[in-house]
Amino acid sequence: MNARDAIFSALRRLRPEHLLTDALETQARELAGAMKACLPPLEFSDLVENFTARVTADKVGATVERLAGWSALPEAVARYAEAHGLEKEAALQPDPRLTGLDWGGVRPAPLKPDTMLAVGAARGGIAETGSLVFHSGPDAPTLYNFEPLHHIVALEARSVVARFEDYAAAEKGQPQPRNVNFITGASGTTDIEGVLARGAHGPRRLHIVFIG
Amino acid sequence: MNAPVGTFKERAKKALGDSNLRVALDRTTGNARTKRAAAVAAWPEFDEARKQAAALKDHALDNFAYYLEQFERNALASGAKIHWARDAKEACAAVIDICRQASAKTATRSKSMLGEEIGLPHALAEAGIRRVETDLAEHIIQLAGETPSHIIWPAAHRTREDVSKLFQKHHRDHLLLTEVEAMVASARHELRNDFFGADVGISGANYLVAETGAICTITNEGNAELTTTPPRVHIVTAGIEKIVATTEHALQLTRVLVRSATGADLTQYTTFHCGPKREGDRDGPEEFHIVLVDHGRTQMLEEMPEMLRCVRCGACLNHCVVYRKIGGHAYGGAYPGPMGSALTPVFDGLENTRDLPHACTMNGLCKAVCPVDIPLPTLLRDWRAKSFEAGYEPPGVQRALKIWAFVATKPKLYRLALSIALPLLRRLGKDGWISRLPFAPAWTDTRDFPTPPKQTFLAQVASGEH
Repeated sequence: MNARDAIFSALRRLRPEHLLTDALETQARELAGAMKACLPPLEFSDLVENFTARVTADKVGATVERLAGWSALPEAVARYAEAHGLEKEAALQPDPRLTGLDWGGVRPAPLKPDTMLAVGAARGGIAETGSLVFHSGPDAPTLYNFEPLHHIVALEARSVVARFEDYAAAEKGQPQPRNVNFITGASGTTDIEGVLARGAHGPRRLHIVFIG
Repeated sequence: MNAPVGTFKERAKKALGDSNLRVALDRTTGNARTKRAAAVAAWPEFDEARKQAAALKDHALDNFAYYLEQFERNALASGAKIHWARDAKEACAAVIDICRQASAKTATRSKSMLGEEIGLPHALAEAGIRRVETDLAEHIIQLAGETPSHIIWPAAHRTREDVSKLFQKHHRDHLLLTEVEAMVASARHELRNDFFGADVGISGANYLVAETGAICTITNEGNAELTTTPPRVHIVTAGIEKIVATTEHALQLTRVLVRSATGADLTQYTTFHCGPKREGDRDGPEEFHIVLVDHGRTQMLEEMPEMLRCVRCGACLNHCVVYRKIGGHAYGGAYPGPMGSALTPVFDGLENTRDLPHACTMNGLCKAVCPVDIPLPTLLRDWRAKSFEAGYEPPGVQRALKIWAFVATKPKLYRLALSIALPLLRRLGKDGWISRLPFAPAWTDTRDFPTPPKQTFLAQVASGEH
């Protein structure tokens, strides 16, 4: 017997299948529902406000600003670069919402392992933890989220949902992307004595710009 | 890699005498307990959520074959290649075989306890493949030539002063650093080229999601994605018990897992990986392999199924009074602490590891903090009973237990024995503590024994004190 058959034969012997697919799906849904009845409370009912409170909390440490529209983003990126003593040069995630903007004084640059500043556009956000959501694809290569030292991410305010369950419900039945990244704050580590230090391998700073 | 030296008792004794280890363990586990307590305090229904989390895992395990087959089907459809392994040897062989077919010289690795469990670091070394550990703590212990001593903080036994010395010696810039931030920056600089030059990236998985065929990694540093995205080949090694029904279940489990592990609401990076690079993708691996490992899981499904719920958060280690004194290396297996004492006898045989289930005070804290409500004290007690029944306990222990059982089942005799023992013990005590027990001197080498009260509990009740 090969390894696969041996494993499945043991599993079927010890846990004979008894439920049909429909019944299993119902049970799985009910279990998720039971968990939804005991979730951690949201501090604010306004989703952007809750997102902001979570992601700017000390233990996450990202920064946030809000703009009226996409067209104001290049100016905000220039301001950020200046405030942090960076060159006005940024790797732009190839999302049409970004590449279609007039970048004026900010020079687009290719993404490299030592990129100082990259600008991304998130697919959505989760208010309960202040998490950004990215689905990899031609307009969202994974490495834009991990290579730069400073990461500025634009997030449309209307794309923020309250809970992870809301994300899961919206994506149910949709094709699974190669990578789904939930990003909550800048890269950090507590590997030395449990003390939090930032910029382990991913970005040292995460700046989130709400659009709208 | 250092194989454990000596017996558990010898290793524990050595650890108890190591004051540097005490400092490192106090700092790491103390920080972890404080942060977890704050996170749990902000979630009034956390205790109910723990029980629901256990139900989510049980649901997947009760329908194990169905969900594992669904996972396999969906993963294959995404372009992943699946490899099955009954044991550690088959699992390592599968990984090495993939590396050889890719002509790999260098493999980056993001922390995976399953990898440690199956001895993957050793297997890669034997195959002549350069292994680069990318998790900061794994990097530290790779420089030190050690194995992990904690499942979340593998370098929990190292102080910042130790890390500073290691980095000065091994890092290319040879700087003497005093701040943790600077040490982290130094590791970032040191490992940058390896992320982008590796032929193969190896990760573990926190979940195998049946409904999508995706695997999930949960990290804080971003090293998992930098390990799995640039190389041409991504290999996942995962225990089959990581199976969950849906993405929603995985995310719900992550809520309790992360709070229990680091006290954060969510780790910085929670990533679902599904198959290789697709048309139009600018990055991503061209080959995506998943090695699914049994290595005792089917045996556990029969003998202690609750243990298969374990999400490897490390909370039971941080709260264990034994772990906090002796650290992880004394346990001698890949997994230390209470969950390790429950798991290691499955992997290494009870006869060789019978001391581990005994290294427990039965205070129940591990169960109380477990995010999936595993009855660890019960599982450890079951191992003790099995060890006794199998005759693995030393003759002295077996005789003593038999005598105790004989006396304890005869109330009059038991009370008589106590009435003789109490005054004798009280004569040894000073200021409420006994500093040396004549019949158990090792017990009092590193701690004191409380002087018993004048009367037994029953006598106190009879005299109206209770």
